[in-house]
Amino acid sequence: MFQNTKCECGHQNPTGTVLCESCGKPLVEDLPLDSPLEMRYDGAARRSQKANPDLIDRVWNFFSSVKIAVYLIVITLIGAAIGTIYPQENTFINLDDPAQYYKDTYGTWGQIYQTLGFSRTYESWWFVGLLVMIGTSLVICSLDRVLPLYKALSKQQVRKHLTFINRQQTVYSGTLEQDPEAWTAAFEQQLKRKRYRVWRDGTALLAEKNRFSRWGPYINHIGLIVFLLAVLGRGVPAWHMDQYVSIDEGQTKPIPNTNYYVKNEKFTVEFYKDEELPEGLKGTNRAKLYETKAVLYACTQYCDDPVKDPVLTEVEKHDIHVNSPLSYKGLKLYQYNYEERIRLISVRPMLVDSQTGQSYGPFDLPMNNPPLTYKAGPYTLKLSDVFPDFGMDEQNRPMTKSRDPNNPAFVFIVTGPGLPEDGEIYIYFPLPTAEDKTLQQQINASFQKSGNNSGRFSFQVGKMENVKFSQYTTYLNVRVDRAMPYIWVGAAISMIGLVMGFYWQHRRIWLRIDDGKLSLGAHTNKNTYGIRAEVAAALGKTGIQVDPKALDNRRNTR
Amino acid sequence: MNSWLHTSSNAFIVAFFLYCFSFIGYAVAVAGRRWSNRDPEAHTKRWGRIAFALAILGWIAHLTFFFTRWKGGGHIPTSNMYEFMTFLGMAIMFAFIVVNLIYKNPLVGAFATPLVVIIIAYASVFPSEVQPLIPALNSIWLKVHVTTAATGEAFFAVGFAAALVQLLRVVDFSRTDKAGKRQQRWVEGVLFFIIIVVGFLVSVFGFRAGGYHAEFRQEQFRIDQQGNEVSTVAKVEYGLPPIVKPYNSETLSMDSFLGVDKPLFEAPSWMNGVNAGRKLNTVIWSIISGLILYGLIRLVLRKPLAAKIHPYLDGIDPEDLDEISYRAIAIGFPVFTLGALIFAMIWAQIAWSRFWGWDPKEVWALITWLFYSAYLHLRLSRGWQGTRSAWLAVIGFIVVLFTLIGVNLVIAGLHSYAGV
Ligand code: HEM
Repeated sequence: MFQNTKCECGHQNPTGTVLCESCGKPLVEDLPLDSPLEMRYDGAARRSQKANPDLIDRVWNFFSSVKIAVYLIVITLIGAAIGTIYPQENTFINLDDPAQYYKDTYGTWGQIYQTLGFSRTYESWWFVGLLVMIGTSLVICSLDRVLPLYKALSKQQVRKHLTFINRQQTVYSGTLEQDPEAWTAAFEQQLKRKRYRVWRDGTALLAEKNRFSRWGPYINHIGLIVFLLAVLGRGVPAWHMDQYVSIDEGQTKPIPNTNYYVKNEKFTVEFYKDEELPEGLKGTNRAKLYETKAVLYACTQYCDDPVKDPVLTEVEKHDIHVNSPLSYKGLKLYQYNYEERIRLISVRPMLVDSQTGQSYGPFDLPMNNPPLTYKAGPYTLKLSDVFPDFGMDEQNRPMTKSRDPNNPAFVFIVTGPGLPEDGEIYIYFPLPTAEDKTLQQQINASFQKSGNNSGRFSFQVGKMENVKFSQYTTYLNVRVDRAMPYIWVGAAISMIGLVMGFYWQHRRIWLRIDDGKLSLGAHTNKNTYGIRAEVAAALGKTGIQVDPKALDNRRNTR
Repeated sequence: MNSWLHTSSNAFIVAFFLYCFSFIGYAVAVAGRRWSNRDPEAHTKRWGRIAFALAILGWIAHLTFFFTRWKGGGHIPTSNMYEFMTFLGMAIMFAFIVVNLIYKNPLVGAFATPLVVIIIAYASVFPSEVQPLIPALNSIWLKVHVTTAATGEAFFAVGFAAALVQLLRVVDFSRTDKAGKRQQRWVEGVLFFIIIVVGFLVSVFGFRAGGYHAEFRQEQFRIDQQGNEVSTVAKVEYGLPPIVKPYNSETLSMDSFLGVDKPLFEAPSWMNGVNAGRKLNTVIWSIISGLILYGLIRLVLRKPLAAKIHPYLDGIDPEDLDEISYRAIAIGFPVFTLGALIFAMIWAQIAWSRFWGWDPKEVWALITWLFYSAYLHLRLSRGWQGTRSAWLAVIGFIVVLFTLIGVNLVIAGLHSYAGV
């Protein structure tokens, strides 16, 4: 397409210019002659409008198109919506066979959904791809427009072509009865009162305000880009950690892959009492508080030493609630869940001699890391075996089902006065369940049968104060998210841009007086209602009464 | 109930009636234009002013309801569906007042006030007792999040009201060609949808007044955190005669209605929201009563509802309505972004340890936001102002409603308030 880019005012414009950069006369006529002008980017040429695009230009053009951006946004929107039809796989903590699960739970549609990968929509390549494309589009379209717009707005001509003025959205023309110079000066005063900046060139005038609001959308886009980059940054492993630790009361556990340890001093769950609840909820368990009194330790010595116990120093202490995590140097511990599960922390049993009725002790027996020897009166107990979660294997041999202290059992070798040199063997189940007690008796009886003990000793805890136990296990979510500051910065920039762009509007008024005929045109990127009211008010104050509605050019043409 | 709460519920009733009167005032302002013996401009102006004054009084009563309930309940009343919906109604009224102060257009009032009335009536469907907070809701950020998000949505609602008027104004009932007919049908469809919502309210309050009751015992399975299947048995109570009963349930008791004393169907298993069966039943009832209501209206008017309203809107500039609708959305968009996305992320970060988790409710907030940003971008180009953009504003508000209500209806998630 050949385009004459030299305007009649003598200005040479770049290819693609819609309105002459200098006087504003339209160079391309694509619309009816009397309709309002297309004022986007002040009609400046953009890179994406190059005449003979090569490959790079084509890519640039693709991403700089708002139409494409809208498509991208709409596709993303539909994709996101499809992702909510069934729960996503990552909402289940343990899902061994997702295909089976979706088929069983949601039938054929669920199966199709899972097979097509919609059960992992938000991690899928196409969804992430769409976000990346939106990001690219954001960068390119902003660059494509902001530079020409900036140039156009920073070198504006005061005296515009009559066509340009008469084809604005808001127009007025009429014969001026007053002295042109004096009237223009008075009009200028009125506009200044409305905080316009005014330039004059004889009886031609340009008034402008809130230009900064034009940068709002671009600042918003920059914020969005920062935000999207930060989201991508969360994919960097070193920036991100997400794991769960379960801790019984009184227990201290290492946080994997860090040199921190966390202790649960006490977990509390409270429910509302019936008198605090309204009719409809009485008798329900409505939670009032979940709290883990947590202490965070840093390991300072022997951290990976299998022999020595690590040296811990307390670095932070916090009562973790649902809306109040423990936070230390970017590491955050959240209340995630809890479980009511009685677990022994330690017991103080007595060694009872059934022959004499005498009892010895008590001695301290912690469930975690029990020491190897104990003293009870004249007797010495050596720990020969520990089963934290006692069970029997197929050959009926004792074994431990897990490393969790669900059902601990201790095997002691007792030595002392009146006992053989290599001692007698007893098993001890500290949990006071009938089942365990029977088991204990049976096993000890079998030891007696095989001559390993004489059946003389047993263990007894006696009073409750000799038992320390944990009632609840708390589940904490441990997080590190080093991208978060950037996320918030991006969001904040975006918000600033939005506010700038939406709560202020760029307004400009041009006028010129030719032989006593006043021509006025005004333009705003938003809120034409507001600019009409302002123009009508300023005209009214200077002796020209018009109804704001009568200024609307769009209406006159329809 | 303490005296604060007592005052509060009285104020609520006052607000409700004032809104109704305000609506009547606006209806008179618009309809009276065609009455003989008066100057239409002066008439509209006068009644528009009366209606606006009533709306403001109603809003003051509503504010009184809100703050006394806050005082009496001990926490800001935005923590269950009843409280949230009444808050939304209050926010829409606020948005309407703001927009009306700028544009002074009684037509918007004639559509915004009934919308508020419907939303408040909808709120009253839910149990209105003050419920003590559960720990997850006990956060300042939640309050900030809910109130700002609702305010943003309220501006979208006003944009919707203006867009609907605009559509009613521009739809051409003299056209008989295909495209013209289609346009008429769609506009009528939106009004029909509103009537269904009214039908819902009529059936709920009707059966409630009649004391209808049915009860089911439902067994549900879910997978717990250890990956074990656990079954829970719950009692589900119905206030509407059960056309569908909950999935996998048995009837405990059921009043008979019109001689029917057994549920006709069972809810499908894939509807896995909280109380999905009951909600589905409610939807069916709404459609039935909406259809009856709509049939009656048609019988009385003898023409489509839209065709009846259309002539009253003559002489109004559709461009003004277009501008109002767009402006309302433009005001709402930053507020919505801040409330529904940014504050939501801040709260999620504090409460759930991640700022974003693709929970259905979060996703739908994002969808709403993307939808309105598509709307804004489309408006940058010429062909997408006027009617097309009005349609987008209408659809946008439907998306908002789905996010607020629909998501809880069909999809289970962390945000589900207990519901009807
Ligand atoms: C989800 C992502 C996006 C959001 C939330 C967003 C938001 C916005 C907003 C709020 C505006 C102001 C609209 C107005 O003034 O009426 C805007 C303007 C604009 N956006 Fe976006 N945008 C997004 C993506 C994009 C993309 C990918 C493009 C790429 C082509 C784009 C191109 C533009 C352009 C050209 C403008 C007009 C700027 C001006 O008026 O000077 N946007 N955007």
